[in-house]
Amino acid sequence: MAMRRTLGDADVELSLGRKLLDMRWGLILVLCCVAAVGWAMLYSAAGGNMDPWASRQMVRFGGGVVLMLAVALVDQRFWLRWAYLMYAVGICLLVAVDLVGRNAMGAQRWLDLGIIQVQPSEVMKIALVLALARYFHGLADEDVRRFRWILVPAAMTAFPMALVLKQPDLGTAMMLGLEGAAIFFLAGVALRWFALAFISAGAIMPLAWGMMHDYQRKRITIFLDPESDPLGSGYHILQSKIALGSGGMFGKGFLEGSQAHLSFLPEKQTDFIFTALAEEFGMVGGLGLIGLYLLLVAYGYAIALRSGSHFGRLVGLGITSMLFIYMFINIAMVSGLVPVVGVPLPLVSYGGTAMLTLLIGFGFVLGVYIHRDVEIPRRGGAL
Amino acid sequence: MAWFRRKPQSKPCTPADMPGASPLVRMDGAAKSAIETGRNRIVVAGMLFAIVFVVLAGRLMEVTLLRGNDIAARGVVIAPPPEQVVLDRQSIVDRNGVLLATNLRTASLFAEPKKILNPDEAAARLVQELPDLSEAEVRAKLSTGKSFVWLKRNLTPRQHYAVNRLGIPGIGFQSEQRRVYPQGSLAAHVLGFTDVDGKGISGIEQFFDESLRDPARGAESLELTIDTRVQHAMRDELLRAVSDFNAIGAGGMVLDVETGEVIAMVSLPDFDPTNPGDAPKETRFNRVTLGVYEMGSTMKTLNTAMALDSGTVKLSNGYDASRPIQISRFTIRDDHPKNRWLSVPEIFMYSSNIGSAKMALDVGPAGQRAFMDKMGMLRRPVIELPEVGAPLVPRNWKNIETMTIAFGHGLSVTPLQLAVATSAVVNGGVLHPPTLVKRPADLPVPGVQVLSQQTSDIMRRLLHLVVEDGTGKKATVDGYLVGGKTGTSEKVGDRGGYNRKALFNTFIAAFPMNKPRYIVIGSIDEPKGTKATYGYATAGWNAAPAVGRIIARIAPMLGIQPVDEELPEIKQAMFVPIPGKPVPVEKKLAAY
Repeated sequence: MAMRRTLGDADVELSLGRKLLDMRWGLILVLCCVAAVGWAMLYSAAGGNMDPWASRQMVRFGGGVVLMLAVALVDQRFWLRWAYLMYAVGICLLVAVDLVGRNAMGAQRWLDLGIIQVQPSEVMKIALVLALARYFHGLADEDVRRFRWILVPAAMTAFPMALVLKQPDLGTAMMLGLEGAAIFFLAGVALRWFALAFISAGAIMPLAWGMMHDYQRKRITIFLDPESDPLGSGYHILQSKIALGSGGMFGKGFLEGSQAHLSFLPEKQTDFIFTALAEEFGMVGGLGLIGLYLLLVAYGYAIALRSGSHFGRLVGLGITSMLFIYMFINIAMVSGLVPVVGVPLPLVSYGGTAMLTLLIGFGFVLGVYIHRDVEIPRRGGAL
Repeated sequence: MAWFRRKPQSKPCTPADMPGASPLVRMDGAAKSAIETGRNRIVVAGMLFAIVFVVLAGRLMEVTLLRGNDIAARGVVIAPPPEQVVLDRQSIVDRNGVLLATNLRTASLFAEPKKILNPDEAAARLVQELPDLSEAEVRAKLSTGKSFVWLKRNLTPRQHYAVNRLGIPGIGFQSEQRRVYPQGSLAAHVLGFTDVDGKGISGIEQFFDESLRDPARGAESLELTIDTRVQHAMRDELLRAVSDFNAIGAGGMVLDVETGEVIAMVSLPDFDPTNPGDAPKETRFNRVTLGVYEMGSTMKTLNTAMALDSGTVKLSNGYDASRPIQISRFTIRDDHPKNRWLSVPEIFMYSSNIGSAKMALDVGPAGQRAFMDKMGMLRRPVIELPEVGAPLVPRNWKNIETMTIAFGHGLSVTPLQLAVATSAVVNGGVLHPPTLVKRPADLPVPGVQVLSQQTSDIMRRLLHLVVEDGTGKKATVDGYLVGGKTGTSEKVGDRGGYNRKALFNTFIAAFPMNKPRYIVIGSIDEPKGTKATYGYATAGWNAAPAVGRIIARIAPMLGIQPVDEELPEIKQAMFVPIPGKPVPVEKKLAAY
């Protein structure tokens, strides 16, 4: 396959040594720091034990980092070429999970592939970024503003969202939607189309309300007034706020968080791990972790800005946005700013899939930096 | 905003300005604008990121430093969710550790109607096992389409097993704790009861609801002053009196005069606190602490003590009771008229209204009011029950009120107040606040000296005289020196004015009179005359014998030694000189 190369030296294949030298090891260090915070909290949540969470999480992180590095070293053009295919595979998996998926906690989200179980919605999170980035990369700048050119990417975003909603998984569907919206925004889609999407979303809201499960409706009503149901659904958020409040400025100390250890706090190892952190290390600990995320976001942002290709910039911004949205929703949720949606705290919450998604995502970001000067033609290339 | 509007294309553009654009693309106005938009968007996104980070950090500070503490301080919820709660309400025991209230783990039956496949069939099968449910009602509940309905709370283990065996989908059990009262209705009004959710809504259960639920108290029980044995004897005798005299109710209590501890408290009719709803609502009424009554002649104990203590009269003095007193439109007359001058002991033992009224007049309205206040008769009594009635105190307290209050009319109080005041009269003059909760042995007994020791000593003799030779003869108990005072009052009718047929009879006794330990008060509400009482319905015929029988039963339980009443030192201790009539006592002495 002959890719049209441009401007002489950019098409030179980068050597492996050069690539490794260009790896943003600082970014990887920050990722490790965030993950280490997670290990500490998992160790604490298990009552001062490596088992059952911390040890497994470390192994998964190790595996994830290897994958991340591998993804980073692969040429951007390769990913650009296969972006649509990956998206198609993601869609197939989502359809498959709907047909033959395994039930867990009342929702069909997992697909058993024999050796491993995958959550197609996680695959989709990355695939959607790549596919949209490729689409907008290939779109002429002036066409971005035109309605007919954004119909395709809108459908590309809406279709997997609908499939995920059907599982049902409100949180992930929302994630996909926000991810898509972030890329649309950064690609320069006219704001009036956002307004249109917003209005039509408002119009179908009553319809969506009707299709929602009881627990999802309850979450929204409880969100508006958590104290109205202190022993039911509001319990999570109230306990979380109490735990946060009991942490105070410097926290109760490592392994001393009573709310978390006495099981007042639900899901302390997954969605509410930030609460456990803030209880034991107080506001200072919480701000510290937010600071680490800020560093990650800043890294991602800087890398995206430095990228020479539109594709690279959109991938970098898309992945960074994904991390950012994850983090925001989780922390805002546990502190009662947004409804309780099952979104993990990236790299910290216990769970392999979300972490793997994040690390692979950052593999792409690292790759964007490594291949920052690789020119990729906007359109007309034999892609 | 800049990144929103199309901008006029005035700026010259060079490839360097367009980091995202391939130089192969020819720039025209729209493309250039799009690139500018893209750049602006990236800046805006960066700003958004920064703002959101600031918001998150601010929120974190707010929640950790302000809000969370606030919530914890308000005490909204610090308990784990219901399924983890161990609702071990403290047990209640009597003074000897006998269990009065405790918890039983039970299963309660609920249904999730949404999941019921066939409501008709399910209802039919459930009612077969639980015949006390109505099939139509169960069917209606199962057909609602709700997600949760209670079908029956607190199943017996047998019912639990049987319903479980039906295997109806959509039917479930919630493990609950039920408050049970092993002594049944024995101390119903003292204990009170809880609602279906285990919250105390009456009696001790309500008064101590919070501390009974306090998990920090663990397995310890709340110890009451009640003695189950005494309680039982009193309830038994009052039940008998109610049925013998066809009364509408009765009330009574036993009070330790030295500590103010309530040893027994009975109000009839009563109810089973385990199933309070099974009995009519009026059974919940506590006649001892909530009901206020004109206590009739039993108030003469206080009246006489007041007169003696204030020094307006001596034991050897007396008053002319030969003629009824006319005052405004009232006539005060005696129920057992002697139509002559009566000494103070005679006024008391024959329960002369005329003599008592004259005694009170000598003290005067202000003195009487102050005395009644001191004895706790004018304020709502304080005891560990929510059901406590406030006395009805006359607004105008003039001579007429002073005279009627002297013999127990015009001032309505609870039997509890009379018992507490009378205990101060006999115990040497110390008013102890009543209590239902056992006081740790090392805590001092609170009390106020309200009367002189001497007055108390005379009053003991006078009270004994009433039982020995006056209106309370039927309360005599062999071997125990009982003293007491009868009181028969007419209840106020529905249309105002006294109802001669509706009586409220009280006998208040103390024993042993040489050194009183216990007050026993028994009131019978609306007793009727019977053949055995020759048609009489006054307190001497019903309340006095009932209290006498109670004392006969409880004195041995309470460890009171019987004494030989004819011993000279006992005779001496109980001797009352009656001017002009020293003979009866002397005669008795001489006869043996």
